[in-house]
Amino acid sequence: MSEKARLHYIYDGIEEHDNRLPNWWLFILWTTIVFSAGYWFWYHIAELAPGQLGEYRGEAAEVAKRNADNKPASNEMLLALVKDPGTVGNGKAVFQANCASCHGAQGQGLIGPNLTDGFWLHGSKPMDIHKVVAEGVVAKGMPAWERTLGAERVRAAVAYVLTLKGTHAPGGKAPQGEPEQP
Amino acid sequence: MSAAPQNSPRIDQLSSIRADGSRLAIHPSDVQGRFITRRRLLFAVLMAIYVALPLVQVGGHPAVHLDVAARRFYLFGGTYNAQDFWRVLFLVTSMGFGLLFVTAWLGRVWCGWACPQTVFLEGVYRPIERFFDGPRERRLKLSGSPWTPGRVVRAGLKHGAYLGVSLLISHAALSLFVSAGGLVSMVAAGPTVSPVAFAWAMAVTGALYFNFAWFREQLCVVVCPYGRLQSAMQDRDSLIIGYDVKRGEPRGRMLKVKLGEVAPPRGDCVDCRRCVMACPTGIDIRNGLQMDCLACAQCVDACDDVMDKVGRPRGLIRYDSLNGLDGQKRRVLRPRLVLYGALMVAAFTGLALSLVQRVPFEANLLRFQGMPYLIEEGTVRNQFELHLVNKNPSETTLTIRVDSPVPAQVVVPQAEVKLASLESFRVPLFLTVQRERVTAPFVFTVEVKDSASGEVKRMEARFLGPTGG
Repeated sequence: MSEKARLHYIYDGIEEHDNRLPNWWLFILWTTIVFSAGYWFWYHIAELAPGQLGEYRGEAAEVAKRNADNKPASNEMLLALVKDPGTVGNGKAVFQANCASCHGAQGQGLIGPNLTDGFWLHGSKPMDIHKVVAEGVVAKGMPAWERTLGAERVRAAVAYVLTLKGTHAPGGKAPQGEPEQP
Repeated sequence: MSAAPQNSPRIDQLSSIRADGSRLAIHPSDVQGRFITRRRLLFAVLMAIYVALPLVQVGGHPAVHLDVAARRFYLFGGTYNAQDFWRVLFLVTSMGFGLLFVTAWLGRVWCGWACPQTVFLEGVYRPIERFFDGPRERRLKLSGSPWTPGRVVRAGLKHGAYLGVSLLISHAALSLFVSAGGLVSMVAAGPTVSPVAFAWAMAVTGALYFNFAWFREQLCVVVCPYGRLQSAMQDRDSLIIGYDVKRGEPRGRMLKVKLGEVAPPRGDCVDCRRCVMACPTGIDIRNGLQMDCLACAQCVDACDDVMDKVGRPRGLIRYDSLNGLDGQKRRVLRPRLVLYGALMVAAFTGLALSLVQRVPFEANLLRFQGMPYLIEEGTVRNQFELHLVNKNPSETTLTIRVDSPVPAQVVVPQAEVKLASLESFRVPLFLTVQRERVTAPFVFTVEVKDSASGEVKRMEARFLGPTGG
């Protein structure tokens, strides 16, 4: 407070002085410098913890592992899912939210065909149905659902549809396509 | 004068830092006067508003509830979701131009009267300090005294009070984000149930305590960008607090003169330093306009009190512009102010329009992915999907109606959609037309009516078909 501030220089009548910086400010400055040295040593020299790249690789490995568990659907797998009440329950929820508007709440068919009468337009095997749901039938107005719902929900929906086979919901749409081939 | 030797604050140094860089705590004296009285009243009003915002219910929701986690925002009866974020542009520009306008016109009136830093520091923390440590002279004496058990206990109580107030303020802030009811249930359930909210509350409490117990006016002088931008926002006609050099100088005590001697010339300033002692940033306003001045008017009250005592008119230190202090006329209306005002009005108009034009529900008609049209058994079919979001604060029923100029079979699986507040839903929509009627693409309309507000939204879409075109 007492001594005259050091005059740096004068330019165009504007004086620049050089007072000492606040100690708290200098403390932050030096702390960050010390921290950066420690950070550098910790992550890049001693590698005591995974750095940014390491974390990315770890997460990428995690994703790869999860995808590896994601086996492509098969007839056996879908038939196994039909026996799992949890999956069928999820499938029913997916169906009511996305499919019921065209196929009816019981699958009796509205704009879309009846799913309960044992007649099929594009084949009756689990994988045939899966293909229709996942990739759609663009010419008929059936959208490809896999990109909106994801593989897991498509499988659940197919499992639910497989449970509807032969339930002959009342007020169903007239049969279309071929009867089911054993 | 205090016991500690005091040098006058200098214009080329920060008052709150000693030559060795250590913190020099500033202890402003208590002043009485018209401005401090009005300021205290305003502080109380502003703090009451701050506490009331999450408590007062408007339209079934708190006046302000920013549910960031669910991206639902309730503001004074309006319900907003993430899709409304574009309105923030108008909000921010309105506030920005408003601040420019007010600063050019009234200088740092925000800093001295309405900024939370000032409101809480002068309205809450400084009174607490005064309660425990006494007025300025006692505080100065205390700060240099040895740490006796008595001083330790008193400091402990004072900082305990600081922490208690900081806890209250931070929880009031938290309730803006989790609502008052949510806050009560969170606190009752304990920190293990909602660790993130608890961590936020504690971090904000710590920041408030550090700021108001120790950092204080350094925030305004060293950190705050608005404070650093003053020189660009103000001109010689902006309202500032200034010392009338012409009237005050040469400063000094009134002297008794012996007979026959000529009294030295004296201005009105008696150099009592009351203005310096009253200053919360520790400057001497008589050195002229400085960046550290928050325009809090405590020096005005202090000086007016002295002027009354010595029988001189008030206003030696007063609210005025640089031109006014120079004895010229103070112009209020000037190009800068008109321009800022026009920009501010434009921004606020944009904000008002963006809020008035708000429909309390969203309805977007999208063509279904896949083929643009389908030909089936002599008919042409178009498929659409309607995305609905209820943005009312309450439940509503959205009714869908389709109007087609060409006779068409319309299938809407759900023509009446019941939605809770901020719930969304997708409805497919099918139009089937006899093929021979589709000679050219035609336009049909979809109407969505909102039962809660009575508002209607009409959307047009083209029916496509094999028109050979």
